[in-house]
Amino acid sequence: MNTVFKRWIKIITLLAALSLFSAACGSSDSDSSSDSSSDSSSSAAASDDEPAAASDDEPEAASDDEPEAEEEEATEEEAAPQPKHGGTIVIATTQVGANVNHGVNSGIGIAQPSSKIFAALTHLDNNWEPQPYLAESWEVSDDSLTITFHLVAGATFHDGAPITSADVKFSIEVIQANHPFTGMWGPLESIDTPDDLTVVLHLATPHPALWIATSDVMMPVMPKHIMDDGTPINEMRGHPNNGAGAIGSGPFRLTEYQNTQKIVLERYEDFFIPDRPYLDTIIYVIVPDEDATMLGLESGEYDSGGYASVINAEKVSNNPDLVAIPDLLGGVGSLNHLQFNMANSIMSDLRVRQAIAYTIDRDYVINTLHQGQTIELLGGIHPSSPFYNEDVERYDVNLDKARSLLYDAGYPDGLDLRINYIPGPNEQQRNVAEYIALALGEVGIRVEVVQAADLPSWAGIFFGGPDAWHMTMNAYFNWGDPVIGVQRAYVCANIRPGVFVNNSAYCNEKVDELLYAAAAEPDVAKRKALYDEFQVITAIELPFYGINALPIFGANQLYVRNQPDGAWGPLSGFENVWLDK
Amino acid sequence: MTDLGIGIESVETGGRGAFRMFLRNKAAVAGLVVFTFVVLVTIFGPGIYGVEAHKMAAGPFLGPGDDAGPLLGTDYLGRDILAGVITGGRTTLFVAAVAGAMAMGLGLVVGSLAGYFGGWVDALLMRFTEIFQAMPSLLFSLVLIYLLGPGTWKETLAIGITLWALPARLTRAEFLRLREMEFVKASRAIGCSDLRIMTRTILPNAMPPLLVAATLLVVIAVLFHAGLAFLGMVDINTISWGSIMGKNKGYALTAWWTVAFPGLAIVTTGLSIALIGDGLQDAFNPKLRGR
Amino acid sequence: MTALARSIGIRLGQAIGLLLAVVVIVFLLVQLAPGDAALYLAGEQGVGDPEFLAKIRADYGLDQPLLVQLGTYIGNVAQLDLGESTYFGEPVLGLILDRLLATVALAGAALLFAVIIGVALGVFTARRPESPASHGVTVMSLVGFATPVFWLSLMFIVVFAAKWGVLPVGGIEDVRYEGGWFGETVDFFQHLVLPAVSLGIIYLAIYSRLARASMLEVLESDYIRTARAKGAHERVVVYKHALRNGIIPVVTAAGLQIGNLLSGALLVEFVFAWPGIGRLMITSIFRRDSPMVVGIVIFSAAMVILANLLTDFVYRLIDPRIRVGGSR
Repeated sequence: MNTVFKRWIKIITLLAALSLFSAACGSSDSDSSSDSSSDSSSSAAASDDEPAAASDDEPEAASDDEPEAEEEEATEEEAAPQPKHGGTIVIATTQVGANVNHGVNSGIGIAQPSSKIFAALTHLDNNWEPQPYLAESWEVSDDSLTITFHLVAGATFHDGAPITSADVKFSIEVIQANHPFTGMWGPLESIDTPDDLTVVLHLATPHPALWIATSDVMMPVMPKHIMDDGTPINEMRGHPNNGAGAIGSGPFRLTEYQNTQKIVLERYEDFFIPDRPYLDTIIYVIVPDEDATMLGLESGEYDSGGYASVINAEKVSNNPDLVAIPDLLGGVGSLNHLQFNMANSIMSDLRVRQAIAYTIDRDYVINTLHQGQTIELLGGIHPSSPFYNEDVERYDVNLDKARSLLYDAGYPDGLDLRINYIPGPNEQQRNVAEYIALALGEVGIRVEVVQAADLPSWAGIFFGGPDAWHMTMNAYFNWGDPVIGVQRAYVCANIRPGVFVNNSAYCNEKVDELLYAAAAEPDVAKRKALYDEFQVITAIELPFYGINALPIFGANQLYVRNQPDGAWGPLSGFENVWLDK
Repeated sequence: MTDLGIGIESVETGGRGAFRMFLRNKAAVAGLVVFTFVVLVTIFGPGIYGVEAHKMAAGPFLGPGDDAGPLLGTDYLGRDILAGVITGGRTTLFVAAVAGAMAMGLGLVVGSLAGYFGGWVDALLMRFTEIFQAMPSLLFSLVLIYLLGPGTWKETLAIGITLWALPARLTRAEFLRLREMEFVKASRAIGCSDLRIMTRTILPNAMPPLLVAATLLVVIAVLFHAGLAFLGMVDINTISWGSIMGKNKGYALTAWWTVAFPGLAIVTTGLSIALIGDGLQDAFNPKLRGR
Repeated sequence: MTALARSIGIRLGQAIGLLLAVVVIVFLLVQLAPGDAALYLAGEQGVGDPEFLAKIRADYGLDQPLLVQLGTYIGNVAQLDLGESTYFGEPVLGLILDRLLATVALAGAALLFAVIIGVALGVFTARRPESPASHGVTVMSLVGFATPVFWLSLMFIVVFAAKWGVLPVGGIEDVRYEGGWFGETVDFFQHLVLPAVSLGIIYLAIYSRLARASMLEVLESDYIRTARAKGAHERVVVYKHALRNGIIPVVTAAGLQIGNLLSGALLVEFVFAWPGIGRLMITSIFRRDSPMVVGIVIFSAAMVILANLLTDFVYRLIDPRIRVGGSR
């Protein structure tokens, strides 16, 4: 009996030891990376736009009469305190990227760290004007076809190698060959590098979107001496310098990279702007959902968090310790709409699309489902863009008209359709899709909601032929200029198997003409007129039915100072951000 | 039998005596009453309550007790949670019952063949069973749904297929025990066919513990379906207790009622079934009463 | 002793055969299922023209005959190569091992909690079989059996983390924390408490009942009667003589339930964003990362088989009467 007892004791001791052992290891074990959850993480690998970013509902910052706005004013009235060096900012994000180089791939999960690790030629301020960054000055020729950038002298990469015009040229070539936003560098003809600090761009046509393409997150300057190692230029997506150990040009170095758990960036001592950055460390923590972000912000565990959800918006505005981060003023600007598959025989009938448009109550989505925290989207361009036109066909709710349109289209007994949605923020995608399915039931359209586990599964519908889908909740991002974010979704030439291309299979020569003319029009007023007309036509013809846009990106603790307020907001360098505590 | 966590012992009482024993067990009777109530509610409740669970009944995220909303509050679309709980039971109980029956059926066939014939049949079938026991069952269900895709029947299949190893082993043990009994030998002596002996002679005597196992299997199936739904692996167009929780899981911290009440429905139902199983166990086997 | 060695050899052989069968079944299931992995990979790349699809098929060996793929896979598994994750582009086994400690810590802590408290409750109530507390344990065990573990986890989060804010909501560490090893250990345990207790309570309910039943039986046995008759103090009888034997079924059950524990851990890890294998499994499923999914199932099966084997040997050490291949 005694030996049995001893053996038994051994077992217990073993178990206890095991648990202690594993506990001890676990605590220091930062390698066991967590994986972000389904609805938040969508992989950023999707080649076009960032769906992961698929939009999120940001709590609204505020119309001026809200308490929170007063809060902001109040803080501004205080004498501006002197910036302090040091400190760690912990930023919660639900977005996971496949790498940290926004030059080869797109996505919020990539853009956030990329904009800190890699410097760009310019910053874009909140008036959409370029400001010096790696380029200290530039000249534009009278015909707008030649742009000459002068780089800051003495700038270095994180390995100490100098940043030269050859690196800038190389970076533009990598972006052209790899980045999904093909319109960004479309009219570029050639790049000259007369000396180490001068870059000359030659354009075929004037290209107003160039100032987006050279700014912040869109133009990561990459080290040629590391990346030009024999890897074919169009396969740079797989280059190791996009991940752990990446050598960059920006204010922060990548020191720890666990793409599904956390990303740690540390101050680069020899950054080319003297005395910057202020912060010692930036930690991106990948959290499972917006609720976790909000709780962490409330408890003070996180200093900043992107993508708080609509139902958390009120919490942000009622919390005196938190400040809403405005959406990127259209810099990214998610356009949430219902997209129709015009290649499908049912959906190609304009009357069917119109019947659907007449049934959906945009107002209900915005004011009830989103509790008034989002804003309506009527034209095809982001409402915060100067080119937005809201004076277009609205398709206000009219169920009788919807029924008669369906009748005319040959569906007196209604019809069966499917609606897909991007697995992203539920409020913007799934919830609206479910609402649309219910609403369409009123006019006899029976709708099945099709869920996808993640972004690539959803994107698979675009490769499945004309009957693979009828309509889907989609979120094309505006990405600053319509040339980048909008044009791609409408022009005939972009009807191809792909994601965030012209997946509606919409083709109208007049629209093509307008878009191409607007892309090359340097005069803002004339450009706006062209885009206005484009939006009028597409609102009637309904390749998309616009639903809403999101005005807010996330929230900061009150002590986070100098949050970048340019067009790119949190997707810029952070070299001026400091902590007042 | 340890997989169930609750041991199922062989049985010594049968028939009417057991029924009387069962009725004397207050907890078991309470379980029966509650379960009957749950079943009645899922059948007639939606008609009586009259609110369609999938439609928007009021504003979103109204808490329980909010004057503007229904009794148990609303979810993110403004759907009535109470209506969801009443209606969702249908799918949950249907999936659980069919999956349980499927697992019992498969288990009975495999277990009785193995137990009755013994030898290489037994060895082969038991090795086969072990394969399914080696894979954590929820993990295996997940893989099946991953492969089959969502849909009520597919979900049922994915759950039923992962749970049959348990009743198979139990059936085998009973058959092994019973086939050596005198009355079985007697049947064999008078020339009854194997099939007849298995179904007419042994099976009725093996029923009691299998009945207990069946109740527990149904509880496990309810939990599995809820778990799969919670992970977002089930059909989004069908309302079940699990799918209500799964759809609202992102809001659990802000709107706890959207998750709390469907979960309570599961606990209540599961507990009532488990109490019945426990009562059956005691009734069939009075010596173990109270264990 | 040679008989023991031989029986151990037999059990080991059986275990390996079993694992091989699991590999074959899971592999075939995944390969035969509808759905085209190439289409998914294309979706991920955002390119879908036929040439690209053909290239993907060739790259991933999807164009080979099924049996060739199976043979290759078994050969690789034998060399501890579970393939490469399509999402991470890294070896599956390494990714699993990275997360193993987190899962072991969670499951181990839950098991320890459940066994210790469960046995204590079982022993306590077995001494007074007809007391209300004793009946309470019976009912509680059934409640534990019927409660969805993820729901319990969520309710714990709602109360302890969201409402009272006394414990972290999820994750395994506070990233900002920069203390020494002691502080980090404390931080780790703070994050461990809620998940481990959520998972443990379900098993606690079950083990307390098991311990109670087993103790009741032991307390009625002859040697206990003898001990009592000899005038030993009741406390000594219960804790010294009865407990040793009464606890055996609980330990055995714990060993044999590793599979169930892993299933439960899967859900708990998901709710608490605990960076373990279960969470990896779920996210891999969302990403349709088939090599990862297959790898995790095989790895878990190997853990279950190993745990059963160990339980078997331990049991054999405790009670030499048990034979190989015993049916119960």
